[in-house]
Amino acid sequence: MAPHQSVFKDESKLDINYIPQKLPHRETQHRLLMEFFNFILRCPEKMAQRVILTGDVGTGKTALAQHFGSNITSEANKRGIKFRYVHVNCREYRGSLSPILHRAVTFFRPNYPARGYGAEEILTTLMQVLDEENAHMILTLDEFDSLIEKEGSDAVYKLTRLQEMRQGKPQRLSFIFIMRDLKAVEQLDESAKSTLQRTIIRLDRYDKEQLVDILNDRVAMAFELGAVPEDVVDLIAELAFTETGNARFGIELLWRAGKYADAQEAGCVEPECVRMAVSSIIPGLRRSELSELGLHEKLFLLAVARYFKENEQAYVSLSEVEKAYAVACEEFGETPNGHTQIWNYAQYLSKLGVLKTEVTTAQTRGRTTRLSLPTIPAGELEKELTASLQAEKGRA
Amino acid sequence: MELEAVFSSKSRMKILKLIYKLGQLNVSDVARRLKMNYASTSEHLKVLESEGILQERTYGRVRMYRFNEGSVKAKAVAALIEAWEK
Repeated sequence: MAPHQSVFKDESKLDINYIPQKLPHRETQHRLLMEFFNFILRCPEKMAQRVILTGDVGTGKTALAQHFGSNITSEANKRGIKFRYVHVNCREYRGSLSPILHRAVTFFRPNYPARGYGAEEILTTLMQVLDEENAHMILTLDEFDSLIEKEGSDAVYKLTRLQEMRQGKPQRLSFIFIMRDLKAVEQLDESAKSTLQRTIIRLDRYDKEQLVDILNDRVAMAFELGAVPEDVVDLIAELAFTETGNARFGIELLWRAGKYADAQEAGCVEPECVRMAVSSIIPGLRRSELSELGLHEKLFLLAVARYFKENEQAYVSLSEVEKAYAVACEEFGETPNGHTQIWNYAQYLSKLGVLKTEVTTAQTRGRTTRLSLPTIPAGELEKELTASLQAEKGRA
Repeated sequence: MELEAVFSSKSRMKILKLIYKLGQLNVSDVARRLKMNYASTSEHLKVLESEGILQERTYGRVRMYRFNEGSVKAKAVAALIEAWEK
């Protein structure tokens, strides 16, 4: 039998972390960023800048910042300016400032100790290192809301008033803060709020035509010629548009539809592949979000999914999940964490909107936390998590 | 210190090889990676620094050691390790 020809030419171009060479319909915002930061190219030591990038999920905030980062880095290099663009997702570090700053320091000092030093100390080190290297940095704090939530006004104040502690010294550190909405900024106290300078670039939701352009670009990069007909791109754009103009959702859908086409050896992506892809995407939790969870959070969520799959119940107590979690840990060769940590996982996943937690008063004594999985089919979730955990285990 | 005294210590040679390979390390990290105790690691590092082979940089409470870029001795040691470890 002749080997089946895949519809993909290079599916890595559909990966959530792939940053394309050009970002359709974000040219104006890119130019604005260049305007705000072009002092780095002209008089790098004279000033520092702070810009907030805001917009809904899938409006290209991260892609725009990284695209801009790579452009300004190559421009600075051409001019002989030592410059680093560092992009950190605050949520990956649970919003703690110290590990976020540690990440920035390790770009220059890879073996700087990871533990035992406070945020202020690491920030001082970062500035010292930048001075030593005569370098400049734009530190992009993605999902900045999680840092505000965890660390509050103090952290923002520390970051933004930095130069005041370095009177007379060159300015070396600028920031881009990325957040979905500006509500989190409103929680800050007045002094912290004012230091953010409020230079805001807002990214509006993509309309359908714009989504078609974005998808067409990716189709050209990722698929064989003619593998994705025009009406299929149109259909995916329509679906992504109804999902709040979410380009990331559209790209994920495109990838999944391609996978269904390959599985059926269809030779091209048909509308039916798109429909299957839609029904396979778990509502309320995207693949991208799932991949950001920690190993034990995934194991915990797997335990919840399995419990609901096997039991016709709407709620489960945390202690029941704890038992199922221990089994999942054993299956994947991990040592289960303790009760407090498990409670933290439940709270975090509830904050993400994956689970719902509520505290009930038991009939006899004490209080108990019970969990529900209101929007995600347990079977689908189990399948996704098992695949993701197996992949993670394979990489280890 | 005499040449033979500096290089007669197996621990010091291990430290030099490690720092040459990784670039810059603090005392605890060197001790942990070489399974040595902190005090003797610190002593060896001080010897190597006083001989001008290593250079110490302090970042707050963190002391990090690296090869002294401006030192002829450091260059000679680096060349020796490079030739030996190839």
